[in-house]
Amino acid sequence: MELREFNDVVHPPPDYPSPDVSQHSLRLRTVAAPAPAQQSSGVQFDWASPPPEDAEDSSETRNLRELPLHMSLKRAVRQVQQMRVPVVSSSWNIKHSQTFRRFCEVAKNILSYFVLWKRGIQRIGGHFGGGVQSYFLFLRFLVILNFLSSLLIAAFVLIPSIVFRSLNFNSTSNITIVNTTGLETCMQYDPKPDALMVFFNYFLDLVSGTGFMEYSYLFYGYYNNTMIESDGFSYNIPLAYLLTAAFYFLFCFFCIIIRMGGTARVVVETGAGAAGGYCMLVFTGWDHGLQGDRAVKLKQNNVRYRLQVDLEEERLKKKAASLTLGQTVSLYALRIFLNLIVLTLIVATFFGIAKATQFSQSMKTTGFTGLLLQYLPSMVITASNFVVPLLCDKIALLEKYSPSTTVILALLRAVFLRLVSLGVLLYTLWEQITCKGEIGSDDCKLCGYYYNQYKCWETRVGQEMYKLTLFDFLITVATLILVEFPRRIVVDHCSCKLSQLVGRQEFLVAPNVLALVYSQTVVWTGALFCPLLPFINTLKFVIFYYCKKITLFQNCQPATRNFRSTTSNFFFLLVLLFGWMLASVVLLYSVAKIHPSYGCGPFRLDPTMWDAVPQAVNMLSTTSRAFLFYIGSQKCSIPLFIFSCILLCYVSALTSVHGKSVALLKSQCALEQRDKQFLIRQIEELNATMQKAEHEPKLLNTENEPFQHTAATQWNQHNNYAFDPDEDPRPY
Amino acid sequence: MSHCSLLCQFFISEISAGIRLQCTVCHGTARMGNKQTIFTSQQLDAYQDCTYFTRKEILRLFHRYRDLAPQLVPLDYTNEPDVRLPYELIGSMPELKDNPFRQRIAEVFSEDGQGNMTLDDFLDMFSVMSEMAPRDLKAYYAFKIYDFNNDDFICKSDLEKTLNKLTRNELTEDEVRMVCEKVIDEADLDNDGRLSLEDFQHMILRAPDFLSTFHIRI
Repeated sequence: MELREFNDVVHPPPDYPSPDVSQHSLRLRTVAAPAPAQQSSGVQFDWASPPPEDAEDSSETRNLRELPLHMSLKRAVRQVQQMRVPVVSSSWNIKHSQTFRRFCEVAKNILSYFVLWKRGIQRIGGHFGGGVQSYFLFLRFLVILNFLSSLLIAAFVLIPSIVFRSLNFNSTSNITIVNTTGLETCMQYDPKPDALMVFFNYFLDLVSGTGFMEYSYLFYGYYNNTMIESDGFSYNIPLAYLLTAAFYFLFCFFCIIIRMGGTARVVVETGAGAAGGYCMLVFTGWDHGLQGDRAVKLKQNNVRYRLQVDLEEERLKKKAASLTLGQTVSLYALRIFLNLIVLTLIVATFFGIAKATQFSQSMKTTGFTGLLLQYLPSMVITASNFVVPLLCDKIALLEKYSPSTTVILALLRAVFLRLVSLGVLLYTLWEQITCKGEIGSDDCKLCGYYYNQYKCWETRVGQEMYKLTLFDFLITVATLILVEFPRRIVVDHCSCKLSQLVGRQEFLVAPNVLALVYSQTVVWTGALFCPLLPFINTLKFVIFYYCKKITLFQNCQPATRNFRSTTSNFFFLLVLLFGWMLASVVLLYSVAKIHPSYGCGPFRLDPTMWDAVPQAVNMLSTTSRAFLFYIGSQKCSIPLFIFSCILLCYVSALTSVHGKSVALLKSQCALEQRDKQFLIRQIEELNATMQKAEHEPKLLNTENEPFQHTAATQWNQHNNYAFDPDEDPRPY
Repeated sequence: MSHCSLLCQFFISEISAGIRLQCTVCHGTARMGNKQTIFTSQQLDAYQDCTYFTRKEILRLFHRYRDLAPQLVPLDYTNEPDVRLPYELIGSMPELKDNPFRQRIAEVFSEDGQGNMTLDDFLDMFSVMSEMAPRDLKAYYAFKIYDFNNDDFICKSDLEKTLNKLTRNELTEDEVRMVCEKVIDEADLDNDGRLSLEDFQHMILRAPDFLSTFHIRI
């Protein structure tokens, strides 16, 4: 079938064929019968035309599905297609491609069974809409990312360490001989726990990562500085540790970029959805998958609310444009003042976090108070992440921005708060470990780091990240049990004014997604120092999924305010990328600058962690070494860099050209319609004056002679479009 | 099995393998293999080619269709019976019953334009509304759904009706009028005061959420 013809005749859009035509003529299944009967329908396809010589069967079938016709018509078309069975020689090809296509469909069907939580997330989308569903899709993405990373780490670091340690292979220590005289104090590190332990201490150690947990596979300090060699098989554990960490980061980076690419494509081709807000809302705002009377009513309220908000924004914009100078100045002054207040709040939070970290690192009490002190930084961070956005929301009410700007601003502030508070914590730790960066100061001179307090500083950093992760998990579960369920019970059963005011919990997507981003950033930061952290995080996120799903269905009502999921998906992936960058800064700094601990870990006698790589490269053969040096040299990297810049310029030029041609075509469209209307008007005028001219001669014959030539002048005037036809054509 | 399949309509409709069935009329028993006798193999192939469903899904949808009116819909479609379920039954399905546009959807997909659907129409409807249908196809049918007076243009009165269905008549007259004006302003490319199919399709191209909202899960 000629599908190009179909594409051409979509305009004008087809009418539905009349019922009797479809029923009778098609049941006869003749080729010729439908053709005249379908003259009434706008979609006319050429039944009799031969197919193109190289028509693929699969593309024909695909196009069959995409025909906007009734099923009975589609089956007739299919019948025709099949009756046009091609030449015998190519039938094998067609059958082959048909079986291949069926196989692909079966394979796709089977693979869909392996998609994690598919039904659950679909159900969530059905009841709560696309915004909430996007949170759960993001969570699923992070679970899979963490799971694959933990597999990577387990395969290259954990399992070899376990195997070699248990088999006690002949291991050779690190190659370089370092003069360790005078450094014996640095090498003292004895975290081995007592043999007998009270259960309470056991629990404390579990929760804070000290004691028996400290000297275990969980933390960096347990791994050995050995290279296993036996029978021609060698495994360099320090190198494996470092390269696994590097590959883990690169793997996460690529996963995020790929996912962002998919989202970005949609955002770019749809122009970020910002233009045409009303159309989008009216035509795509209704979610046809919604079920249940309550969900539908809520959605209707939602749509009405959004429309009213948009109209309100228009009104505000008009009002803002019409403000006097004095009012504008006072508004901006107010906004600057309020922004300063918000900034002060945030800076105060950072100060509080820094102080809490310093305090908790310096105290050494044991027992329950010791535990509380150890968790002090986590508690301060979580409390600030809860309180400060709340205050910022209240302040934002006074700032009188338009609703969409308010939402974006709140998100930006929350992101800034979360990521930078983590940064402040890490900075404080760095200050403590490296004596504020001055290696020459008294405390840090001997070993290159503050060895008195930090016998094994990597493990300490790992412990902090472990505590942050655990605390985050505990707080989320506790909020669920202690806040959300009671709230629902109170609201449902108590009909007092307070419960009316507070109402049922709303599942706010943005704060929840930012919490996920924060957890993931913590995991990335801690992965070098606590190799099992991605695995712990996988379990944590899996439990989160089930907990959040339960709370969603039991306690929450669908959001009254909407959430634009696609552009926000891109924004959240962008924030995740920022978190990744923060963690990679930490990684690069730790690997390249800070001296590894002398007493523990796989890098104990190297000046920096990075040194494992040059040592390994030196052990390669000359040709591979030369090759690696060449790739890293300027001869290779500068041309590569220039080439990628050129590629970038080309692609951006292409984008701008496409944008310009789209704008041009749009204006051409409008122009053509105006031309059409102009021509139609001219035809109508021509018809009108022609009809007048028919009546005129009869009148003229009965009137005076001076008007005899009016027919000619009238005809002349028809041609002259400069004259307005409504004017009296008679010049006198 | 063979002597019952044409005369007896009281088979349990199980399609999985190895089920032993008993005909309640003649009490003969037979083991049902992987074959199902609702459709011929060619019919299933045709449905598979014309919709986005697999064989299993087509059979599942057939049973959903039949559950709406078991006494009207026979279990044997090999002879292509002419069964048309009235709109009231279609509109009472849980997937559609709360949708304010259900009447328009049924009218658009039914052959008689009144909402009374045959099995073909039923499959067609859910195929277009499934997640595998492409954007252009969905946009075409969405245009038809929002075109209340079937004049192939979405004019102001169509928009007003759409808005009222969307907001359950809770917007004021003024607001409805303003929104309609804004919609036509934004989407009307050829400046004729109403939306044609091209305008609509062009606008849908820029809508990122359209594919996920114009989707009925069944």
